Amino acid sequence: MLKFPRLLVNHVKALATPTSSSNADYLSQQTRIVKLFSYLFLFNFLQNTFILKRRNPVPLHKKNSKPHRLRSRNFIYDLVEDTNVKKKEPLDLILTQYVAGLGNVGTRVSLHPALAYPKLLLPKLADYATPENIEKYKKLAIDQENDKPFSSSLVEKTMKYLSHKRMSIVMSKDVPWTLEKWHIKANFRKAGIYLPEDTITMPEKPISGPNLDLQGKEFYVTITINNREQVKVRCCLHHWTSESSSQLRVNEFWKLPTDPIFPEDKPILDSLSPFWVERKKTTHF
Amino acid sequence: MYRQASCLNFYPLISFLQARNYAARKGTREKARKKKVKKVIEKIGFIPHEQRVKTGGRKKALELKDISPDDSKKFEPIDNVWISKFHKWKIYSFEEAVQNHRETHHPTIYNLPNEPIKAFLELDMQHVKKTKFVDAFTRIVCLPHVFDHGQTRKLLVFCKNPEMEDIARDAGADYVGGKQLIKQIQNGQFSMKEYDIILSEPTILPDLLLIRGLMRKKFPNAKSGTLGTDLKTMITKFLTGMRYTGKPHETLKSFGTVDVAFGTLDMDTKQLEENFATVIKDVNEAKPRRPEPFITRAVITCSPSPERFKVNFEQYLLKNKALEAEAEAEEEEEEEEEEEAKQDAVIASH
Repeated sequence: MLKFPRLLVNHVKALATPTSSSNADYLSQQTRIVKLFSYLFLFNFLQNTFILKRRNPVPLHKKNSKPHRLRSRNFIYDLVEDTNVKKKEPLDLILTQYVAGLGNVGTRVSLHPALAYPKLLLPKLADYATPENIEKYKKLAIDQENDKPFSSSLVEKTMKYLSHKRMSIVMSKDVPWTLEKWHIKANFRKAGIYLPEDTITMPEKPISGPNLDLQGKEFYVTITINNREQVKVRCCLHHWTSESSSQLRVNEFWKLPTDPIFPEDKPILDSLSPFWVERKKTTHF
Repeated sequence: MYRQASCLNFYPLISFLQARNYAARKGTREKARKKKVKKVIEKIGFIPHEQRVKTGGRKKALELKDISPDDSKKFEPIDNVWISKFHKWKIYSFEEAVQNHRETHHPTIYNLPNEPIKAFLELDMQHVKKTKFVDAFTRIVCLPHVFDHGQTRKLLVFCKNPEMEDIARDAGADYVGGKQLIKQIQNGQFSMKEYDIILSEPTILPDLLLIRGLMRKKFPNAKSGTLGTDLKTMITKFLTGMRYTGKPHETLKSFGTVDVAFGTLDMDTKQLEENFATVIKDVNEAKPRRPEPFITRAVITCSPSPERFKVNFEQYLLKNKALEAEAEAEEEEEEEEEEEAKQDAVIASH
């Protein structure tokens, strides 16, 4: 069963040394009473160690004489430490290819082993960050600089988030306006999406108002992330006024399908991801 | 005799014996009976066990992170387009925050260019002792750049001499009086009820003590700034100042908030910043004597926009500290000078 018994003993020894030193002062308190401490290492193949201590230590025996017979009370142990419960150190890894949310080739990550082993090391998405591996994958990263799948690790998530949105563009109902880039920027910021003005590409034809024919109708803007990835974001025009009596109220507007402002945009708008998916209500029975 | 009686099933002595040698007070038992309120158990229809409210086990206590979210574990944005909910909260400079609010309140969007702009401050209400918390407090802050905040309050001023009365009236006090007024109040000819704040000069304080009971909490004192020699600044402060309250959270007493307007959007940005700095300094004066910061977060809001821009407020407090240190140093110097002068004087008298 045991192929490498020597290896196992070495491992047990290695495990024994740090723990005995850390427990030194705890043990030294009892040295007057009992001189001998016997530790027992139970090593199983799940790489888990239980460090035990005899509750009633075996008394010392004289030189050249037979050791004492172990009594039943000598087989009662107290648990000193269970290494399985100990907090595990994160693993230092280096990515071998693009991983969504983490980065491109050659990015160093440190992850909890419970996540690192099944998600990265087993599918060979990452390797241990040894000096040789770091050099290897850094080189690879420089070679593949031009054909990275995404410009950064979070771009994919941002694109997915944006493509599922229908942004409400709130404009005045009273004052005449023509839709500009900063209007889009301010309205996106209100929804928690931060973008500079130069990333926005407006629709080709200008949109101006207030025009209640356009109320609740769709158009799209194109957003260029990191000068590279492009996402089309669905926008929906809404007219707002500070007078509550003349405000336009639409019940559950986020669910309603609407028409495009420019009919030629219809195929593009239809090809975008759905902006509203009805979720099934979970029952508790 | 006893044996006889026992034979007859008759205990003459015992029947008269009482454990207590005094009479129970009248109605004591009745009271005790009344105290016992019968618990009426209401019959409830069948509830599936999934929907039953758990009676055992305590409710989870509310934590700070449930009220004001903690973003310290989120990442800094790395792209030029980023989504706030996946990243750390952006910290704006004051100018940028105001500029952003001006964008959303532009005539072509909200069309509210002179909306009041507000500071929302989150406070750590922990007192010096761990079991104690700072109570709700109300203060009036005197803003350097006045705006129409809609708060009105009536001032009643007590002064000793007519010259001071004129000064107070010019400054804008609603009613000014002296000894005569105190007598009228004592007689009940004049009512103080309609006045929100009562100011006074220190010289008239002995006479004011007569009507202390009528004033109660409104009685002028130096700590709240209602008692002082410089009536003019006091009156302008209480007339134009901004009143705000710091409220502790309903259940989590260690968390408090202040929501105070410090200007309107059409004011100059520098003026707004000065007003904001004074608000921050004024709120920080309510801080208990402990080393940890009192204000934990400052956010600039402007209704009806839902946006809240987090602002670095510590710079204003730092300036304050530096100034204080300077002022203290100056005071010390002055004191030293005074001491020297005193010594000189002593020597001179010899």
